[in-house]
Amino acid sequence: MAFPVLSLLVAIPLLGALVVFFIPGRRAGAAKWIALVFSLVPLLLSVYIYYAVWSAPAPSTTSYLTSETLNFEEHFEWVPALGISYSMGVDGLSMPLVFLTTLLSSLAILFSWNEGRRPKEFFGLMLVMEVGVVGVFMALDFFVFYIFWEIVLIPMYFLIGIWGGPRKEFAAIKFFIYTHVASVVMLLGIMGLYFQCKEVLGHATFSMIEMAKVSPTLAPGFQYVAFAALFFGFAVKMPSVPFHTWLPDAHVEAPTAGSVLLAGLLLKMGGYGLIRVALPLLPEAARAAVPAMVILGVASITYGAFLCIAQNDLKKMVAYSSISHMGFVMLGASTLSPIGISAGVFQMFNHGLITAVLFMMCGVFHHSAGTREISRLGGLAQKIPVAAAVFLTGSLASLGLPGLCSFISEFMVFYAAFVAHGGWMWIPVSAVVLTAAYYLWAAQRVLFGKFKVDLPEKEKGHLDDLHPYEAAALGILIALIVFFGLFPSAVLDLTNPAASAVAGLLGGAP
Amino acid sequence: MAATFSDMAQMLADNRHLGPEMMLVVFAFIVLAASTFTKNRKLLGWIAIVPVLVSLLLVTGMMGLLDIGYLGLSSLAGPVDVALVGGALSVDLFSLLFKFVFLSVALLVVLTSLSFIGVKDRHIGEYYALVLISTVGMMIVASSNNLVPLFLGIEMAAISTYALAAFRKHEGKSVEAGMKYFIIGATSSAVLLYGMSILYGISGTLDIAGLSRRLGEDAWEPATVVGLAMVTAGFGFKMAAVPFHMWAPDVYEGSPTPITVLLAAGSKKMAFAAAFKVFLVGLLAAKADFGLALGVVSVLTMTVGNVVAISQTSVKRMLAYSSIAQSGYILMAIAVGTKTALAGGMLHVLTHAFMKGGAFIVVAAVAYLLASEKLEDYKGLSRRAPFLAFCMAAFLLSLAGIPPLAGFWSKFVLFSGAVEAGGWMVWLALAGVLNSALSLYYYARVIKYMYVEEPARDARPVAPEAGPYTAVLAIALAAVVLIGLYPQPFIDLAFRAAGTLLP
Repeated sequence: MAFPVLSLLVAIPLLGALVVFFIPGRRAGAAKWIALVFSLVPLLLSVYIYYAVWSAPAPSTTSYLTSETLNFEEHFEWVPALGISYSMGVDGLSMPLVFLTTLLSSLAILFSWNEGRRPKEFFGLMLVMEVGVVGVFMALDFFVFYIFWEIVLIPMYFLIGIWGGPRKEFAAIKFFIYTHVASVVMLLGIMGLYFQCKEVLGHATFSMIEMAKVSPTLAPGFQYVAFAALFFGFAVKMPSVPFHTWLPDAHVEAPTAGSVLLAGLLLKMGGYGLIRVALPLLPEAARAAVPAMVILGVASITYGAFLCIAQNDLKKMVAYSSISHMGFVMLGASTLSPIGISAGVFQMFNHGLITAVLFMMCGVFHHSAGTREISRLGGLAQKIPVAAAVFLTGSLASLGLPGLCSFISEFMVFYAAFVAHGGWMWIPVSAVVLTAAYYLWAAQRVLFGKFKVDLPEKEKGHLDDLHPYEAAALGILIALIVFFGLFPSAVLDLTNPAASAVAGLLGGAP
Repeated sequence: MAATFSDMAQMLADNRHLGPEMMLVVFAFIVLAASTFTKNRKLLGWIAIVPVLVSLLLVTGMMGLLDIGYLGLSSLAGPVDVALVGGALSVDLFSLLFKFVFLSVALLVVLTSLSFIGVKDRHIGEYYALVLISTVGMMIVASSNNLVPLFLGIEMAAISTYALAAFRKHEGKSVEAGMKYFIIGATSSAVLLYGMSILYGISGTLDIAGLSRRLGEDAWEPATVVGLAMVTAGFGFKMAAVPFHMWAPDVYEGSPTPITVLLAAGSKKMAFAAAFKVFLVGLLAAKADFGLALGVVSVLTMTVGNVVAISQTSVKRMLAYSSIAQSGYILMAIAVGTKTALAGGMLHVLTHAFMKGGAFIVVAAVAYLLASEKLEDYKGLSRRAPFLAFCMAAFLLSLAGIPPLAGFWSKFVLFSGAVEAGGWMVWLALAGVLNSALSLYYYARVIKYMYVEEPARDARPVAPEAGPYTAVLAIALAAVVLIGLYPQPFIDLAFRAAGTLLP
């Protein structure tokens, strides 16, 4: 067996978290350094893995979730009595997200450089979160997948609950319970799948690879039920309208780094689960669920956009825009076509980069001006020009300006949607106008015009421009947004073959 | 006379598989006798620990998990499956797994009691003797194949625990708990016994397996239904299932905390051992009839337990209600009645002993440090007593079924048993997972108080924090984490143990 590189991506942050938790209290200042080092190593590793997967020959497109399509596979028996093994592997659909996870974890740690409140716990929990998310994207065993999926909840609960805003306790518990309910319903679906596959295979296994061999042949009636359970778990996480109500609360109260990870990574788990797990394993049900996916996707895109227009809190606006943008992922998946699926993954990747910029900027404004309320702000560009420029760039990227990365993924989604669903796709397309409207309107009110910070004197911030560590994190993100806008093939070369394989299983339109 | 002695020696040798029980009884008397010579509280406790530890070793050996041949005990080497006393008792994996749980609980109880029992307490010899005797009672229940030893075992455990609940005579709450427990317990025993006598009258046998043959043959008479209902009610009281649960919170809250551990983690599980045998062996033929009813009771029990737990302000009382909810989960095993479900139920009995026992011990430790069981006083506990707070968080997350802790695995096997069985039982699994999510609310609230909230202004770190409870908490924590990370042997054992009842 080759060297377990993927396990290092899990093990190093975990080790880092333990180190951070156990450093003595008077040395708490070292926590951020340790956390940064223990998150940079996985980042470098994931770059290496990315390059290795990217340069490997494209796998055959006729099969999916087999050893040919997977790279860096690892298998260890864990609980043979139940057929559980610790299995890891990456392919074209998961690799971009693994890279995104290690990248955003490092940058979120960097961005929180002057977090002075209980720094040991803060940076330790960030690393635990990285463990959970990166594990979800690499797990090839349903059970391990579920465990990583659940591990993510605990650090996020504390990040919101301890470092959050005024209503943090309510937001933390709502996030925890809401998403946990979704997870356990998903678990029931996994159990059902496990027992049905056990009957066909003759032995018990949670291995996605083995289950994928037989699950498409299961009775349609069962597939519908199992798909519904999995879909519920994933749709809440994405989140899709009407399961999105936990998200604004969680985002508004979460600390900036928490929001970055929440929107940048946690939401991706839902989309990833849908595309990488639910669709290929249950193709019959996926075909039947197309109408539901289209409607939820379109509803998320348009309703999310309308909600954004109505917001006065900048962060809440960005949070709702996530719902709108994750709707593209759902819409892309609903086409069951290679382009749509590939675009869905690319959209998640792009949204991760862009939303990280926007949430970081919300944090900067809040800190620098003293409030995030759009109506209280104006003309900030005069006082903090660099920050204003970065926010504007992020907004333009998010609304899909050509040349920046999300233009390509959104365009691909619409193309695939028109091919698959026909002319009425003008509805989500016109929502792009709304997106442009709310971003530009917000930018205009906050950044331009007459300078104002409508707050009592003692609540005002010092109007500092970006700190060096903030500038570093944001600069890297902006550079990547431009890079992937100009060279989308750096991701699409990976996602396209895998997406074709998935679409092949689904028998969708080419 | 010589013949008599050799007969006795022969009898002991024949029944050597009941060695743990015999040793516990002998040591119960030794503790009693010792208490007339010494007033040293610790010494009496250590005397009581000896048989518990040795029995644990023997039971583990008899399960075949540990090689005890080199101790000269190769005749006990497992896995054991023997019938004793004319088939009335059997020592097999099923009973051994339960005995392992009861002995682990006894170990936790005695270790906790070492610190819990203070200068004001009297009758310490009797206390330890009763703990040992009640453990023996539970172990006999686990071994019973016959209604008579089954009932005797239940009574032996129950009567000892009545006295133990009221151990602190100077505390009103403790006396109230003892009194309440005695009245309800005696009534429920009477109901149970009456039900059993009806079943005996109809079937003409006390043998549990024989019961199944007789009841399976003929159409049911009204009397059978009455008997079955009374047995169900009797067990329902003992396992604190809704609607027979009213006594449990008061008794659990009022009893001295080590005894709460014994009641919640030990004697309640004895009721499950008995119910598994009676329902899944004795009444298996009627499973289609009682399955749905027990399913409803199970869902009611978990829901009521969890919903009421939410509004509690005392952590101990909250844990008592959560204990009721956990009974609901385990009841699913009987309602579903398949091998996987039974394995899950037994696994949950095992994990629950450690996680709930551990949580109650944290309550005892906090009460010892801060003289309070109120949730309010857990504010900022992570700063004042990090180890205690960490243990509590681990136990609570395990109870909620968050992976990868012990409670997750047992719930997982249990619920997957229901999913596997299919049909209406999938709804049981759904109720189970939704209830787990509901329970997360009040578990997470305690964690929030401990980790998120700042300690009160005048609060200082308490040192030495967990004090005398450190060792026992470390044991429980190790069990919860170990089973969580390496569940394979335990799951395998639970499946094999379930296989002895339901092949």
